[in-house]
Amino acid sequence: MSSNYEPNIVAFLCNWCSYAGADLAGTSRVHYPANIQVIRVMCSGRVNPLYVMNALQQGADGVLVSGCHPGDCHYMEGNYYARRRLGMLKDLMEFVGVDPRRFHMSWVSASEGHKWKEVVEKTVEDAREAGPFEGFRRRQIDW
Amino acid sequence: MDLEQLRKTAAEVVTREDVKYLVGWKKGSYGYRVAPVFVEDAAGAAELLFSPLCTANLATYLTLVEKKPLPRGQEEDKRKVALFVKGCDSRAVTQLIVEHGIRRDQVVIIGCPCPGVIDTAKLAEKFPETEAPAEVQWDGENFILLNNGEAVKLPREEVIAEKCRFCRYPNPVISDILLGDKVEVREPEEDSGVEEIENKSIEERWDYWENHFSHCVRCYSCRNVCPLCYCQDCILDRLNPTWVNRAVNFSENTAFNLARAFHLAGRCIECGECERVCPANIPLGKLNRKMAREVRDKYGFEPGVDPEAEPFQASFKPDDPDDFIL
Repeated sequence: MSSNYEPNIVAFLCNWCSYAGADLAGTSRVHYPANIQVIRVMCSGRVNPLYVMNALQQGADGVLVSGCHPGDCHYMEGNYYARRRLGMLKDLMEFVGVDPRRFHMSWVSASEGHKWKEVVEKTVEDAREAGPFEGFRRRQIDW
Repeated sequence: MDLEQLRKTAAEVVTREDVKYLVGWKKGSYGYRVAPVFVEDAAGAAELLFSPLCTANLATYLTLVEKKPLPRGQEEDKRKVALFVKGCDSRAVTQLIVEHGIRRDQVVIIGCPCPGVIDTAKLAEKFPETEAPAEVQWDGENFILLNNGEAVKLPREEVIAEKCRFCRYPNPVISDILLGDKVEVREPEEDSGVEEIENKSIEERWDYWENHFSHCVRCYSCRNVCPLCYCQDCILDRLNPTWVNRAVNFSENTAFNLARAFHLAGRCIECGECERVCPANIPLGKLNRKMAREVRDKYGFEPGVDPEAEPFQASFKPDDPDDFIL
């Protein structure tokens, strides 16, 4: 692995907590790694496990899904569904040999700018250790 | 299992006014083959059978029926469908009821307690298939193969289907009519296949599955035979958005197999049909059993047991495991 390898991380953030939390981190001038590409979704329960797989196929080295703390969901229970589904997905991916360090899930509330920084640092660190994820890339055909 | 009783019951059921047809097993065209059959009258019921070769899960046919739009003024045929079920098939029916795939009052379930079925591939290795008809019967701990008038004793361990080793529900969990006596529930064996993969390192697991998934020809047999894969609009067929490209390469094959395994998490009733029909011999059973075990151990849920249960992925508990969350 080359020393200047920078992992690509796709992050699915819920509109109500984690996105606001990431925003707070920005407005409070907290420095965190720039490897993260944020996709805003209305709720972590909206994240279809196939999104995670598609992100990995399309060139992500790691995926982060972040939502509200349990009990704080804007839609009452969306994050509980997300926890169940994505927990299963994590088990499945680990079983077929996708490094568990490539997929993380976190709860970040709108007031946790500093927690967001820690979460991103951990995710990027883990993806860096796991290395580039070439095996699963979708084959690009240039017609 | 008393075949006379089975045929008599089937004839009674199929002649009932509220029954459209009956799905059962009959002798196939040659060798050991047993084929599914749709019976519409009492005469057809005379060829039905139940033997260790009846591996096919007939619950698939409940949702495979094509529903054409009705001509104006024509009434829908609301009669019931009767079908034979083994223990595992009955769980598929229960799971379909849970998911509102079918309604309980649309089916007549004839339960057959099942001491375990045979893996025809293993049998054909020992006794290559000939055109002459052959049959297999249960005999306590073993099977008896009747081939050209000769009776050969087959030890259970050697020919039993993989799924039956881990079976916990040999008796139908749901049935209107139960044929014969309930069989004794065996202690399920240790799932050595899954454990073997779990003991590998991450890289070895990836290599193992890469080896298998790259052989996948994407015939979708596993999806078509699965009693619980019945979405009208399957993500694998959908072009917009294209969840899984149609190209047959390792990346797309893996995405396809993972998507299917995931969609069956908390729903798979381990009937082993996907593994049986796979032309590339991908150990799909291991994938599904692993997910079923996670669901059972971590979430305390078992699909296809209680017709009143909430579907696994459409429900949650506040105390679901959250140790993986940062």
